Amino acid sequence: MDNILEVSGLVKRFHGLVAVNDVSFHLKRGEILGLIGPNGAGKTTLVSMVNGTLEPTEGDLMFEGQSMRGVPAYRRAHLGIGRTFQVMKPFPGMSVLENVSVGALFGANGGEHNLGRAREQARACLEFVGLGRRIAQRADALGGPDRKRLELARALAMKPRLLLLDEVMAGLNHVEIEEVIEDIKKIRDQGISILVIEHVMKAIKSLSDRVLVLHHGEKIVEGGTDDVLRDPRVIEAYLGHKRQ
Amino acid sequence: MKSTAWGIVLAVIVALLAALPWIGNTVLVQFGINVLLLATLAQGWNIIGGFTGYPSFGNSVFYGLGAYGVAIAMVQYHLPFWVGMLLGLGLGIAFAGLLGLAVLRLKGHYFAICTLGLALVMTAIVSNLEIAGGNIGLVLPLLRSEVLFYELALGLLVLATLTIFWLSHSRFGLGLIAIRENEESAAVMGVNTTLYKVLAFMLSAAFTALAGGIYAYYITFIDPVGVFDIGLNVKMIIMAVFGGPGSVLGPVVGAFILSVISEVLATKVTSIASMFFGIVIVIAVVFMPRGIAHLVQHIKRAGWRYFIDNVRTHRL
Repeated sequence: MDNILEVSGLVKRFHGLVAVNDVSFHLKRGEILGLIGPNGAGKTTLVSMVNGTLEPTEGDLMFEGQSMRGVPAYRRAHLGIGRTFQVMKPFPGMSVLENVSVGALFGANGGEHNLGRAREQARACLEFVGLGRRIAQRADALGGPDRKRLELARALAMKPRLLLLDEVMAGLNHVEIEEVIEDIKKIRDQGISILVIEHVMKAIKSLSDRVLVLHHGEKIVEGGTDDVLRDPRVIEAYLGHKRQ
Repeated sequence: MKSTAWGIVLAVIVALLAALPWIGNTVLVQFGINVLLLATLAQGWNIIGGFTGYPSFGNSVFYGLGAYGVAIAMVQYHLPFWVGMLLGLGLGIAFAGLLGLAVLRLKGHYFAICTLGLALVMTAIVSNLEIAGGNIGLVLPLLRSEVLFYELALGLLVLATLTIFWLSHSRFGLGLIAIRENEESAAVMGVNTTLYKVLAFMLSAAFTALAGGIYAYYITFIDPVGVFDIGLNVKMIIMAVFGGPGSVLGPVVGAFILSVISEVLATKVTSIASMFFGIVIVIAVVFMPRGIAHLVQHIKRAGWRYFIDNVRTHRL
């Protein structure tokens, strides 16, 4: 089983609006696939269908050879799909450590049921993303960049086999972006397959094995990173037509 | 070591409360039964409202079912009290399970309004049930043993509080808090939100129904309007919220303080008494929306600023 994720003919309509239209792609085991496209292209909608937050209108997706049709989000988390949210959704009233502990307690295979061991795992994840000194703070007391790190730690604590990263670098400065890029490489080296949505092209270039481009909900290009970024259709999608 | 000290203090308080019937007079014991039952109801509400974040106005339904379970078993079938308690418990839990699957899909105000309607519907249904004595109600056999009821109520409150202590230190409890804080996030991280919410509702119903059962046998007469009383539901919410929703001891402290004040007012200054809970709601919401438990933890450091900060952060 070479592909950890196979997506075929995925469609999502919100009443009249077609957010994602007939998108097919696959993600190989241990691969980092970049997902790019202009704002409103349907990237987050696509990711939400993979992790089960949204049900597709049409099409199907297979995770490790198993159809995910009708499988609720929490079951997909148990099977090994973890995600971060672009609009961060921490548990505001909980401490940073508790936030991440939820991932460890309930994640892959139903999580670690022992509270003490789950806390240890959560602590390790927080150290990994560089939040080790903030574990006792309330999540809503964190600043923007630290909230991004918290999102990443929460998803990691679930011990996913497929990690969906939705703009974890937005709002970070250059130094912080370098740090997160290194973190993501280390995560991949642990054998976790990654789908990464990102607007930071530097990150896409240095991370992605392949890139998939969405525009108006449709897949316009898929392929090797350098080829895709040079493709005229991609440049047009981002920058528009050249005036004649 | 600090937690053992707390444990000893609490054990002493419980022992003193248990000894109250032999120290105090009958009036005090009767007042005690009421306070202990109210505190149990506040704790029951704490599970679904405080931990899970679903503001239930339907808990008085479980209270009524518990009361009718005992009444129907004892009056119509001449069964012993404890069988009635089990019947009431079963009715409450089953109803919470079936109902929960339907109404726990709603959130916030919608959930509150939907459950508010349930109490009214139940009053109407039970009023038309012959087995429940219709709208006249049922008269239970008289048992003149206030001490027994008092100790039963105390035991139930201790059980409810221990359960909530366990909740606050368990995977299940953390899952409920995660649902309260952000339900979508909780599901994405692997919490079976539907199952957890329904289980929390059933657990809440269990304690509420048992309290209703004790009340029925103690008061010896129940009718639909009396036990499916929305006013009682409002009381348990005020007590839990005033004390500290989502905390282990807050609702108990809230129930004790508010009951004592309201009792004193009712006997001394009758004119203000009926306004009392209204005033409490306003004060609590404006100055200490997170309850006494939160206040005690933060007042030392923040001082009077605690209240000012609350007014500011909640933009009142």
